[in-house]
Amino acid sequence: MKITRSLLAVIGFSCLLSACSVLGVKPWDRDIMARKSMQLNTHPNLTAYHEHIYFSKEGSSGGRTFDGGGCGCN
Amino acid sequence: MQLRKRKMGRVSRALGLVTANLFVATNGYAQAVPAPQPPATHLGNSSGSVTDDTQSDLGTITTDGSVLFYQEKGGRVKAVEPVARLKFTGENGDTFSLKATYDSLTGATPNGATPWKETQTFTTPTTPPGHEEAVTGASGNSTIVIVPGTGARVAQYQIAPHQLPLDAGFRDRRYALNLSYSHLFNPNTRITFGLNGSRERDYRSYSANTSLSQDFNDHNTTLTVGVNYEYDQSRPHFGTPTPLTEMNGLIKGPGENKHVFSVIAGVTQVMTRFWLLQLNYTIGWNNGYQNDPYKIISVVDPITGAPQQYLYENRPRSRTRQSVYLGNKIAIGPTVADLSFRYYHDSWKVDSITAEIAERVPISSWFYVEPDFRYYHQTAASFFNYYLLAGQPLPSYASADYRLGRFTAKTIGLKLGFKVSRDGEFYVLGEDYKQTGASTVPGAPGDLANENLFAGVHARSVMVGFSYTFR
Repeated sequence: MKITRSLLAVIGFSCLLSACSVLGVKPWDRDIMARKSMQLNTHPNLTAYHEHIYFSKEGSSGGRTFDGGGCGCN
Repeated sequence: MQLRKRKMGRVSRALGLVTANLFVATNGYAQAVPAPQPPATHLGNSSGSVTDDTQSDLGTITTDGSVLFYQEKGGRVKAVEPVARLKFTGENGDTFSLKATYDSLTGATPNGATPWKETQTFTTPTTPPGHEEAVTGASGNSTIVIVPGTGARVAQYQIAPHQLPLDAGFRDRRYALNLSYSHLFNPNTRITFGLNGSRERDYRSYSANTSLSQDFNDHNTTLTVGVNYEYDQSRPHFGTPTPLTEMNGLIKGPGENKHVFSVIAGVTQVMTRFWLLQLNYTIGWNNGYQNDPYKIISVVDPITGAPQQYLYENRPRSRTRQSVYLGNKIAIGPTVADLSFRYYHDSWKVDSITAEIAERVPISSWFYVEPDFRYYHQTAASFFNYYLLAGQPLPSYASADYRLGRFTAKTIGLKLGFKVSRDGEFYVLGEDYKQTGASTVPGAPGDLANENLFAGVHARSVMVGFSYTFR
């Protein structure tokens, strides 16, 4: 049973990677990806402020990264 | 050909940098992990274009300083939070970053009790004579009272009829330091280490994390796994109250601790020339003290609704949090849309959904605007109650903390960005954040049915900052 699960996991992972391999662009087509505005976190300080506010005022945390809080505000 | 090879190698290395850090770099509050790296290419952009922001960060030092001004309506919490960040990026792609945060908090915060039609009086411990320093907890509008018979010295504050009970003495300062080092083993593999520490008057937090990122498919796919361990010490100024005992002015028990172990696994995928996608799964196990030592819950008369007692809250010592996060960056002409979704679930039965959208619109080569909107909705924790009924057996866990209740929150904001030079940017963001929820509880006893029990926040904030990259 354990082996079957592991096998399924490996097959699933391989399929995922195979699926990913048909996506994407060639290196010479990365002009738009190269813009700073295309980074997932363009302003780390602003993101940190948002994480702080939402962590201290809401019941959820995490998602973008680890779910810890680092303060006694919640 | 030589030139092309060199250029492609540089592009590949930079793209590895970009994807390697994309998903671990955002919770700057607790986890100091490196910010995403810009690629080393100028492809497709001419100087002066509204999207001319593709310079490499290799061999640079980036500084970023900002201040948050945060104010809640109704005389509640006010915060000022300056942050300074420094990041060194080597020619080999390694990065070292350092972030220092100072946080000043004042104002009033709900103590958890229900409003009532008559004046309510709350009793808390107080400092001995000659030690009246500002502390977290009741002290702001309190008066010192000597309890007849015992001679005990306590603090008391009163709440007017129909007003939400607020602890007006909320005052604290927080210092935090985050360090992060990231090493590029080869163009496809990166390892990152982070250390974080923070200190408040009544709380300490320390954490360490590491993550490994691997690129596949011509740097179009990045898989990352990371782990984080956090150790927190809660040291309430007047001690830790015994859960579900009556609020009083006595000095309480010793401090308590909490351990958090978290794992994150994710994939970042370049979908098309215009679309970057990120998918994360996180799970965290929290064990130890998770009560808010300053929060209470009213025990009310089951007929009239009048408060009879105020008990210190109690939450389970174990909590498992899970979330799935989907982030997207989509270029539409010169504009860039940022779309993200999160589903969150934890063992306290808090479920939440979050959706965010922001659209960056360049107005000129030196100025852009970015409106944003965020929607959030959460269900209540299984042990959340606005009040308990007198005469009934006490539950094992109970909290009236509005942050564990059911509510919806909306954020609306506008960011302005000014490129003052090729490497310097001034930015300012204004936001309005409002929580809404049910103000009455079906079946609330007596006159409690006429009171507004919802204690949600309505806050406004302004964040201003300046970043500069030295080359």
